[in-house]
Amino acid sequence: MRPISILVIINAMLFGLLYFIVEPRNTSILAAGGILTLLIIIAYIIIVRRGMGDQYLFLIISMLSSLGVVMIYRLDPAFAFRQITWYGAGVILYFLSYTIFRWIKNWDKYIYLYIGFGISLFLLTFIFGTTVKGAINWIRIAGFTLQPAEIIKLSYVFFIAAYFTYPEKLKNVYYFLGIAYLHIIFLVLQRDLGMAMLFYGIFISIFYVFYKDNKLILYNLGSSVLIVVFGYYTMGHVRVRFEAWLDPWRDIAGRGYQITQSLFSIGTGGFFGTGLGMGRPDYIPEVHTDFIFSAICEEMGVFGGIAVVLLYFILIYRGFKITLTIQNTFRKILALGITLTYTYQTFVIIGGVIKLIPLTGITLPFISYGGNALVSAFIAFGILQALSKRSLEVEELLDFGEQ
Amino acid sequence: MFQILSWTIRYIFIGLIYYFIYHIIRLIYLDIKRINERQSKQFNSPYLKLVNRKESLDFDIQEFYDLKDVITMGRKKENDIQIMDKFMSSQHAKITMDEDEYFLEDLGSINGTYLNGTQIQDVVKLKSGDRIGLGQVEFLFVKEVD
Repeated sequence: MRPISILVIINAMLFGLLYFIVEPRNTSILAAGGILTLLIIIAYIIIVRRGMGDQYLFLIISMLSSLGVVMIYRLDPAFAFRQITWYGAGVILYFLSYTIFRWIKNWDKYIYLYIGFGISLFLLTFIFGTTVKGAINWIRIAGFTLQPAEIIKLSYVFFIAAYFTYPEKLKNVYYFLGIAYLHIIFLVLQRDLGMAMLFYGIFISIFYVFYKDNKLILYNLGSSVLIVVFGYYTMGHVRVRFEAWLDPWRDIAGRGYQITQSLFSIGTGGFFGTGLGMGRPDYIPEVHTDFIFSAICEEMGVFGGIAVVLLYFILIYRGFKITLTIQNTFRKILALGITLTYTYQTFVIIGGVIKLIPLTGITLPFISYGGNALVSAFIAFGILQALSKRSLEVEELLDFGEQ
Repeated sequence: MFQILSWTIRYIFIGLIYYFIYHIIRLIYLDIKRINERQSKQFNSPYLKLVNRKESLDFDIQEFYDLKDVITMGRKKENDIQIMDKFMSSQHAKITMDEDEYFLEDLGSINGTYLNGTQIQDVVKLKSGDRIGLGQVEFLFVKEVD
């Protein structure tokens, strides 16, 4: 059996089951599941037939997003239909970003554009932003809510890649560090700690890989520890998060409520889970976005949870493999940056919900509910797909050139 | 009724999702194995090199092809070199080796096979540096002379 047919069987099974879960029975879920599966099949066939590089990226992404849609539907049907719409938009953008990325040749020349784009979007967020759950990171435009940080993530990676391709464009490395930290400071000011951590992770990892002077990297790491300590004592919300992580049981009804509910939920599931629709993951606040992993663990068991982590593993492995085969510096950093973004994002949120690290609100890529996150993830992986196509071609040339 | 359904499906689901992961990992393994094989292969045999820019062709094609005793080219899957060019016939041309010499032969293709720009009628002997044209594709025949 080929992976795509396994995916179709899983989808048929899960959406069939969903039909029985939600009362009153609603055939539209079967139609929605059918459309989703059809979309996956069509997109997969296009990728294989047109020889668009790596075939596995899209398969793994589809598996993750189908699981996400199923879980969200089980939690709240209204969200799921919106998520499927976003999924459709995401697939279109996947191919669009693939085409545009291959069409425009000089991506490495526009460093000032990336800086300007990122900073101006941050400023716009401050001016027009609305506060959602304690963080000022949303802009409302004509009924849509926009989370600029999701797109800035990409322009940030482009900016770092463009800098390391032509370091002479900025006067010296301190200008680069200044701009890189400016992005992070904006995020801290917006109280979006998960994103700030994510941006810092991307920045320091690429800096470590591509910058020669080890001393400067150590200074950066040292100062980041200082910033964390400083933040702990000056910012209340950081301390709350930290204490809830160390001992959530002390204040079970208040600060520790979310994390303890998540742990109860994972514990209830056991190895094989309670079965879809049989658990009560809705006790966790924000279960459809940040805590969807706990819901999966409760209803599909620890084995289901491990399967999700394994899917991320092979997705990230593909990303690193693509990175290793690319010769061009800009493309290499871009591939690495995109892979790292989603690596850290997965780690930060799964680590958060299982109480491995302090919890910060960030979405689980492709599974969590959220149009912005889903769309930006699809754009990012569309670019990675384009990079993989290039790398496969170059790889063949190299293999023969070395003889 | 619903409970039983949900309980059975959770086991099937977990089995299937691991089967899916197993499949992808196996495909990745095969992928890596192929790359390693290609790297360890000896390249003292003659080969065909693509002259066209690969980006200009809208079908899947390799930059290099190794030559064996008999090589057939065409659109059909049975050919040793399968090229999905719409200007190629299902069985287009054949390259055979005889006593260390290579011979190009047209297999009755519609658009013909060209050697250095002239259409071939009969079997012709190839020498290193010859250009072989089939459909939109042009290959360079390379035979290292030591």
